Amino acid sequence: MSRSWLLCGMKPLQGSTHFSLGNQKVEKRMGCQQSLQSSEVLKVRTIYINDPLKNTFCTNSISTTKYSKWSFLPRYLYLQFSKAANAFFLFITILQQIPGVSPIGQYTTLLPLLVILAISGIKEVVEDYKRYMADKVVNSKTTSVFRQNSWHVIKWHEVNVGDIVKTLNEEFLPADMILISSSEPQSMCYVATANLDGETNLKIRQASLEVAGIIKEGQLVNLDGKIECEEPDRQFNNFVGTLYLRGKSPISVGPDQMLLRGTQLKNTQWIIGVVIYTGFETKLMQNSVKSPLKRSQVEKVTNMQILILLLLLFVISAVSCVGATIWNKMYLENIWYMGISGITPHNHVFDILVFIILYHNLVPISLLLTLETVKFIQAQFINWDEDMHYEQNDLYAMARTSNLNEELGQVKYLFSDKTGTLTCNTMAFKKCTIAGIIYGNHSDNTDDGNENLSRASFCEFNDPKLLENFEDGHPSSEYIKEFLTLLCVCHTVIPERCGNDILYQASSPDEAALVKGAKKLGFVFTTRTPYSVTIEVMTETHTFEILNILEFSSNRKRMSIIVRTPAGHLRLYCKGADTVIYERLSKDSLFVEDTLKHLEIFATEGLRTLCIAYTDLTETEYQDWLQEYKKASAVSQNRIQRLEECYEIIEKEFLLLGATAIEDRLQANVPETISTLLKANIKIWVLTGDKQETAVNIAFSCKLISSTTPRIYLNADSFEAAQQTINHNCGDLGNLLGKENDLALIIDGETLKYALRFEIQKKFLDLALSCRAVLCCRLSPLQKAEIVDLVKKHEEAITLAVGDGANDVGMIRMAHVGVGISGNEGMQATNNSDYSIAQFRYLEKLLLVHGTWNYFRVTKCILYSFYKNVVLYIIGLWFSFVNGFSGQIIFEHWCISLYNVIFTSLPPLTLGIFEKCCSQKSLLEYPQLYTVFQTGEMFNTKVFWIQCINALIHSFILFWFPTKMLEHDMILRHGYTTDYLFLGNFIYSYVVVTVCLKAGLETTSWNRFSHVAIWGSIISWILFFSVYSFFWPIFSVAPEMTGQINMVLSCPHFWMGFLLVPTTCLIQNFFWKLIKNTYKRGLLEEIQELESRKDSILEHSEIFEKRMTAASLAVSFSTQPCEIFFRDDSVDLSAPHGYAFSQTEGAVVTQEELVRAYDTAKMENSRISKRSSDFSEIF
Amino acid sequence: MSRNVLNVPEVCLVSYRTNMEKEFQHHLSRMPENSAIKQQKLPAHRLHFSNQAIFTIFFATGAFCFCIGIILLLSAWKVQEIEINYTNICEDCAKMRENALNFDKQCTCSIPFNLQKTMKGDVYMYYKLYGFYQNLYRYVLSRSHNQLMGKDVRDVKDCAPFKVTSNKIPIAPCGAIANSMFNDTIILSYIRSTSEHIQVPMLKTGLTWWTDKYVKFQNPSFRNLSDHFVGTEKPPYWQEPIYELDTSDPGNNGFLNDDFIVWMRTAAFPTFKKLYRRLYRVKYFSDGLPAGNYTFDISYNFPVTKFQGEKAVILSTLTWNGGSSIFLGLAYTVTGVFLWMSSFALMAIQGKMRKKKLSHRR
Repeated sequence: MSRSWLLCGMKPLQGSTHFSLGNQKVEKRMGCQQSLQSSEVLKVRTIYINDPLKNTFCTNSISTTKYSKWSFLPRYLYLQFSKAANAFFLFITILQQIPGVSPIGQYTTLLPLLVILAISGIKEVVEDYKRYMADKVVNSKTTSVFRQNSWHVIKWHEVNVGDIVKTLNEEFLPADMILISSSEPQSMCYVATANLDGETNLKIRQASLEVAGIIKEGQLVNLDGKIECEEPDRQFNNFVGTLYLRGKSPISVGPDQMLLRGTQLKNTQWIIGVVIYTGFETKLMQNSVKSPLKRSQVEKVTNMQILILLLLLFVISAVSCVGATIWNKMYLENIWYMGISGITPHNHVFDILVFIILYHNLVPISLLLTLETVKFIQAQFINWDEDMHYEQNDLYAMARTSNLNEELGQVKYLFSDKTGTLTCNTMAFKKCTIAGIIYGNHSDNTDDGNENLSRASFCEFNDPKLLENFEDGHPSSEYIKEFLTLLCVCHTVIPERCGNDILYQASSPDEAALVKGAKKLGFVFTTRTPYSVTIEVMTETHTFEILNILEFSSNRKRMSIIVRTPAGHLRLYCKGADTVIYERLSKDSLFVEDTLKHLEIFATEGLRTLCIAYTDLTETEYQDWLQEYKKASAVSQNRIQRLEECYEIIEKEFLLLGATAIEDRLQANVPETISTLLKANIKIWVLTGDKQETAVNIAFSCKLISSTTPRIYLNADSFEAAQQTINHNCGDLGNLLGKENDLALIIDGETLKYALRFEIQKKFLDLALSCRAVLCCRLSPLQKAEIVDLVKKHEEAITLAVGDGANDVGMIRMAHVGVGISGNEGMQATNNSDYSIAQFRYLEKLLLVHGTWNYFRVTKCILYSFYKNVVLYIIGLWFSFVNGFSGQIIFEHWCISLYNVIFTSLPPLTLGIFEKCCSQKSLLEYPQLYTVFQTGEMFNTKVFWIQCINALIHSFILFWFPTKMLEHDMILRHGYTTDYLFLGNFIYSYVVVTVCLKAGLETTSWNRFSHVAIWGSIISWILFFSVYSFFWPIFSVAPEMTGQINMVLSCPHFWMGFLLVPTTCLIQNFFWKLIKNTYKRGLLEEIQELESRKDSILEHSEIFEKRMTAASLAVSFSTQPCEIFFRDDSVDLSAPHGYAFSQTEGAVVTQEELVRAYDTAKMENSRISKRSSDFSEIF
Repeated sequence: MSRNVLNVPEVCLVSYRTNMEKEFQHHLSRMPENSAIKQQKLPAHRLHFSNQAIFTIFFATGAFCFCIGIILLLSAWKVQEIEINYTNICEDCAKMRENALNFDKQCTCSIPFNLQKTMKGDVYMYYKLYGFYQNLYRYVLSRSHNQLMGKDVRDVKDCAPFKVTSNKIPIAPCGAIANSMFNDTIILSYIRSTSEHIQVPMLKTGLTWWTDKYVKFQNPSFRNLSDHFVGTEKPPYWQEPIYELDTSDPGNNGFLNDDFIVWMRTAAFPTFKKLYRRLYRVKYFSDGLPAGNYTFDISYNFPVTKFQGEKAVILSTLTWNGGSSIFLGLAYTVTGVFLWMSSFALMAIQGKMRKKKLSHRR
């Protein structure tokens, strides 16, 4: 990160993950003050080095668990009863304890409630235990710490503030530390911060030179002093502290000496640091706020329905109460058989309570439990899925929360991170063009094996033609030699011998890829000394003297190096963006047109290109320039600018050699997945912290945008300019605004800052929503979250964010569904996500298959649960009409209570767990199916009410048919007469049968569990009925039930009704279903029918094509080229020029310093032995 | 039906974007934890009906319902039933009973009627009450199952408001249900000639469910029934104590009295029938009730006019399917007709759609 930013305080937030959007401004100001007034920080923490007793700060152990042993019960109960439904049932349970109020017994609600609480309690415990175990794994990683005069290997959670910690290469840092020394020259070290800010390139940290020499035990023992620094905060790039060592003047330390927990040490053998922040006080943990509770859309709608049902319950109770009052007025005085006390009516409050208890089961008590169970198992299905198993790392997909399962089926906007999500974050030298001849084309066919792809080495370049041409004396062989030499010489890579092999350390992965590519072609870069570079070509070694390095910056878009060739010539090698190189080509330059054509080919494939050119300098020319250069270097003000001007003088008259093409390797199947998701009408936005050029490149290579897609660039440096471009573009779109056009919008973080201002926010969003693809580059983590928030607020659609690094945490939390890519980099994103997958491509299955199924299942399960409860409990209302609203119920108490627990508990479960709208194959083959569910038409208030009215009709039939059948009373043999419970058992049996068969009607995919659930439930009722009728007097329950089973089953009316009543109920549903299937036939129905045709599996696609045209699909993608006339010059209609170069600018150590620091020739022999001696000393 | 169920085993479908063989081997290697259930590849089938099948189902079901309906209607029509509402006929008695002070006065009422056709087979006599709510919540609760089981005659826990008398003596049988027991006596006489009035022999027992007589209701095991009820009081509205309900049959007394048991089974609706007597088929009545003139001699005790209720007495024969109710028959017939109609409607709709499709293709 740029030091200048921190100093001038312009952009201190880059890299921080702060979530309270409202505090943004305050936060920025604070950041400025802290960095400007370093010594006057209010709160200061003092850390005593090597004196652990004096440091009393928090431990380094982290805990992400929800409960502790003691807090479990109160906290769990609080959480449970803060759910409206549970609180309601608790209320009912308490009411039932009042003697005489409950018409259905005292414990009939308490027991199911206890069961429900127990089961979800167990689930909570299991989930929390998993979290505890995950924490334990992190806490018990090991690191070495210097204590009692020697190195000890301890666990992470034992690390204390003030400890001296040693971390080896590729290890993660256990806590926030101040760098003391490292194995590298000048105490540099490389860290990968992708986990924190998502940036591709490695960062260089350098210890203060005063302490850099401290590596040996003796010195560490004597290290005595303290560090004063600010209290922990959540800003990744702010740090101010002072190191006081005894006998030395204070040394100020800043972000450049800071090593953060969560970063990984790269290309550095070891480092030694002093711990300053531990555990929850580390910057990483400061940024991890407890996840907000996310609730799915379906859950919100369901809660709404529950409230409506509660309201309905009160209305029904009130109506019944009024009915009771009227009835009592009319009859009660004269009813002598009720005795004297019957005449004194109870007060109305009491009556209402009775009715509330009577009807309270309208709100399905088991729904919450059923849903919990269903969602838990759905989550397990995701966890178990072999198709989402990344075998390389043995990673399965993981559903970290189960309450968003159905949300996966409705995603409309997908916000994706780039680095590590779409790309592997590895660069490969893929192709090149030398002297107008393109090389590396045929390697395309290796793309097929996607397993191999991700496993492949950095270098993919594999074209024997290049070497043939070089060795066989092809006319271009000189150019090839020059080209490869340039790749070997012009860079800032440090070689490192490791046995017979040479490893390259580079802060820029692009450069590493190029050097490795050259090595594979026989041009091996072997040694770097401060003033020379040695390469080995065909066993010959050549040494180039490095005279000057003309540094890379994003302004210059190029880097050059002036060398003296082995032959003694002065030569300037340059590599850079095509635009800047072409401006500086000499007239004599050849292959200009050919190379340009090739560059375009590369760019459309999404490869990062660099032009390669050189020029020969004369001695005098160089000496003149050197004078200029020395002057420029000496200037203190605007030095960088002066230097750049100076570079400009000598970088001219280039001779073009060719160009390289580097592949920023995509993860496996990314383009295919993206095209599937686009077909499923999911809009994909790429939000990245990386450069604009890189982002556009990736968008091309993953086929998010094609070369014909017009691209709207929004790059403005002021609010007015941003407003103007946005307005201009909106105006140009005209009527097409708000519709989906084949456009791409590219915006950078700076412009976005203005675009998100309230005044033009809406307009910007309109513009963005009119484009098929949106790329946002150079975003801070906060901005990523802001964009997601913007879309979430203004669009009634489900958003999903996917990312892999800590910089994506904000958007992952903000989006409706957050998906973390687990794998290479840390666990930040994963830990904050709702679902974690190992590869971007698994999104396809996660959304299209699991999402669709889960949504289909959950909605069916919910609707069915409401249905079955309304059916049974509204019968109580009907019965009230014939019993003078006295509160008598027609069923036996326990039968009612067990309705949801046993007799109808399985069908909603099987619907929720096994139901499939169509097979996985169809879902993946026809991504358009996803749109059927995206709109949420399967489940909304309207659907809910239709289901309720349906239930009302059913309950009407189910009550009045048996009533009319039994009204005549003479239905049993021997003239026996019956009682109310006899009717009740008739009705109850019919209800169970009807409700179970209705589940069968709802089931589209029958498997063995469906059969068990449906037939089993009916049988379970009959069995229970049989046994229960013989309980009295052995058990003192249900005397009324005695003998019912014999009489009911021997009654011909019962069997007549058994056939008739469920038939009359369901025939209408069946009928409407058929009508709907013929008249309002959608895509889903078409595909369901296709699937059930066994014989014509082969013709599927053919039939589908035919029907697709017939069945007018709601979604149509405008594939015709955009015919909008853009006046604004921000729109780029031309074919893309891909240029990208991931070099760090303005780092602690400049490129020149870096190069001059290493002398690998000296190290070559000594280093390994020295290192091993270091080690023996240390351990 | 099973012919129309097409099986699409989803197991055999090619798995998601992976090489089949590899997958297979992979599956083998981790067989135990990688079942079809976990991978959601259980064999499943889809209910799918062709248009023709649907039409057939509708039509066949319709025909079936229609036939059943006709059979039920025919059998209901075969039932002979006479219902005589005697609320208004015995107006004087009714008025007298409205005043509770007249509780010990006798009032009888005689209702002549003519039976035009012989009632063949078993004939059952019912009483029917209109507007009597045996299904009120507090009424239904007001009984003591333990007392009725003969376990403890003093157990009157749930019997409010008829638990104890004003002297705090427990009531047996307690509770509102028992207290309000129907206590009219109805005697049927056959008038063979003006001089020959024959009391039709009726059975007072065998009116109850088996479980009532042998499980739910039990008398205590004392030799002398009345001994057991010492220390209890008869219900306030009763004229005789529980052990003197049937003076002619000592076995039909106490909690095991059939009339009592029948009454204790509370009806579902405010209008209900209860089985009162059944014809004892001897002598003249061996084939049933012969045609002719009859009278009901009713000793009118049970007040109903106070709550605007009515009383009736019913004589009826029964078939295999019970009494003369035609509801079920009608419901079946109507459903059958409806199914036919809807099957025709479906056919019409499908025809229309086919035409539409054809014209589309052209």
